[in-house]
Amino acid sequence: MFSQSKTRLEDFESAAMPYLADLYRTAKFLARDSSEAEDLVQETYLEGWKSFHRFETGTNCRAWLFTILFHRIHHFRRRQVKAARMEPFESAAEADQVMAAPPVPQEIRDEDILLALEKLPPEFREVVVMADVQEFSYKETAEALKIPLGTVMSRLSRGRKLLRRELAEVARLYGIRSGESETGEGRAG
Amino acid sequence: MNVLNFDSKVCERTRRQFDAYVSNELLVETTDEVVRHLESCQGCAAELESRVRVRVALRRAALGQLPPAQLSQSIHQRLRRTQPGPLAGFRSGTWALAIAATLAVILGGAGVEQALKLSQARQTVRNILALGVSDHVDCALRAHNYPDVARSQDELRQRLPPECAGLLPVVEEKLPGFELLEAHVCSLPGSPRKYVHFIARREGAILSVILTKRDGQSLPRGRLLEADTSAKLYQAHLNDMEVAGFESKNYFGFVVAGVGPNRVLRIARDLAPPVRGVLDRSSTATGGRREASELGEEASRL
Repeated sequence: MFSQSKTRLEDFESAAMPYLADLYRTAKFLARDSSEAEDLVQETYLEGWKSFHRFETGTNCRAWLFTILFHRIHHFRRRQVKAARMEPFESAAEADQVMAAPPVPQEIRDEDILLALEKLPPEFREVVVMADVQEFSYKETAEALKIPLGTVMSRLSRGRKLLRRELAEVARLYGIRSGESETGEGRAG
Repeated sequence: MNVLNFDSKVCERTRRQFDAYVSNELLVETTDEVVRHLESCQGCAAELESRVRVRVALRRAALGQLPPAQLSQSIHQRLRRTQPGPLAGFRSGTWALAIAATLAVILGGAGVEQALKLSQARQTVRNILALGVSDHVDCALRAHNYPDVARSQDELRQRLPPECAGLLPVVEEKLPGFELLEAHVCSLPGSPRKYVHFIARREGAILSVILTKRDGQSLPRGRLLEADTSAKLYQAHLNDMEVAGFESKNYFGFVVAGVGPNRVLRIARDLAPPVRGVLDRSSTATGGRREASELGEEASRL
C-alpha cells in the first residue's frame, strides 16, 4: 500500500509541481503578501493531492490547480471580513461607453505596472491575472473563478481599462506625453 | 470625461472587439474584419498597439516574480507527511525517522533500513542541489546581477580570482549558443558561503554555472541517486528550475536554468569534466587555504 501510494504521490508531484511558479505569482498578486501567497500555494498542493484521485489523467492539470487555488483565495478573502469594500471604479453606463483610451507610456517599467495591478479591485485583478499573465482562455478563467463567461469578459475589459488609466497617471506624473502624440488617440477612420 | 465622437461606426465596432482580439478569442471571420480595418485606420492600429504593449509589459513584469527557493521543498515535505503507512513523513519528520529506525533495529528489517538510507541520501542530494538553485534565483533572477550587454573577456577575467580564470574559456566553450554575460564571485546576504558565478543567456533564458566550496559535504553515490552514473551527475527540479550538479575534489558545480531538464543535463555533462580538471589542478597548485582566502577577498571587493 505504501509503495502504491508513494508512486501515486510521485505522479501527482510530476504533474503538479511544474506549475509552482505560476500558482505562486497568481497567489501573490491576489493576496498581496508573500507569506500568505506561500500558504495559499501550499494549501493548493495539499488540497490537490487529497483530490488527485478525482483528477483525470490527460486533462488540464494546470487549470485544475488554478481552480483549487481560487477556491482557497476566495476562502481566504471571506476571512478578511473587516477588509474595506472597494467601490466600483465607474458606473455601468460609463463602462459601456467607448472611451478615449488614456495615453500609456511607451516604456512601461515593471514596478509601475505591478503597482497599477495592485490597485485594481480584486475581482478585476484576478481576471486580468488569469487572462493576461497566465494566458488562460475566457472559458478556463470562468471555470476557475466560477463566474459566467460574460462576467469574465466585462471584468477583463474594465480591469484592463483601469490598468491603462493607472499607467497614464504614471505617464502624467513623469511628464510623458508620448502616448497621446504617437498613438494618435482620438483619431478615427 | 473624454468620450470619443467617432466619425466612423466601424472604428467603434472594431474597438469593442479589441479585448477579445488581444486575448485571441475572436472568431476567424471577426478577426479578419478587425485586421482589414487596422490596415486602413492608423488611429485604431495605434490604440491596439498600446493595449498589446500593456499586456506584454504586465506579463513580463509578472514573470519576474519568483517563488522563494524553499517553497518547493516545503511542499514536497508537507505532501510526504500526508503519506499513509508506517513511513509517513519520513523525509522530514525526525519522529518518523526515529520510529522507522527503531523498527529497523527491532525487526531486523533490512528493507526498511535500506529505504530509509536511500530516502536520506535523496534528501541530501536535493539539499545540495538547492544551493545552486538559490544562488541562481537570488543572484541572477532576483537581483539581476548581470549586464544586459555581455562584458568583454578582459572584464570577465578581472572579475574572477586568479585560480578561477582558467574556467573562463572552458565555460565559454561548453555553452555553445549562449552569450556569457557575467562572471563574479559573490555570497548571499547573511551567508558565509562564497560562490563563483557565471551567467549566460540564450533566447531570453538565463542560465547559471555555479561553483562553491564543498566544505566537507559530499554528494552521496549510488545508481538510484545519480542522473548519469558515468559522468557522476545529479539532477533535480527545484523551485521551478532545472538543476544538474557534480563535484570536484573541493567544489560543487551546478548548472541551473528554467529550461528543459535534458538540456541542463547535457550542458552539465559537457561542462563537468573540464571544470573538474581546472578546479582540481588549481586546488593542487594553490592549496585549499589560499584558495578560500582569495575567494573571500574577491567577494568582499565586489
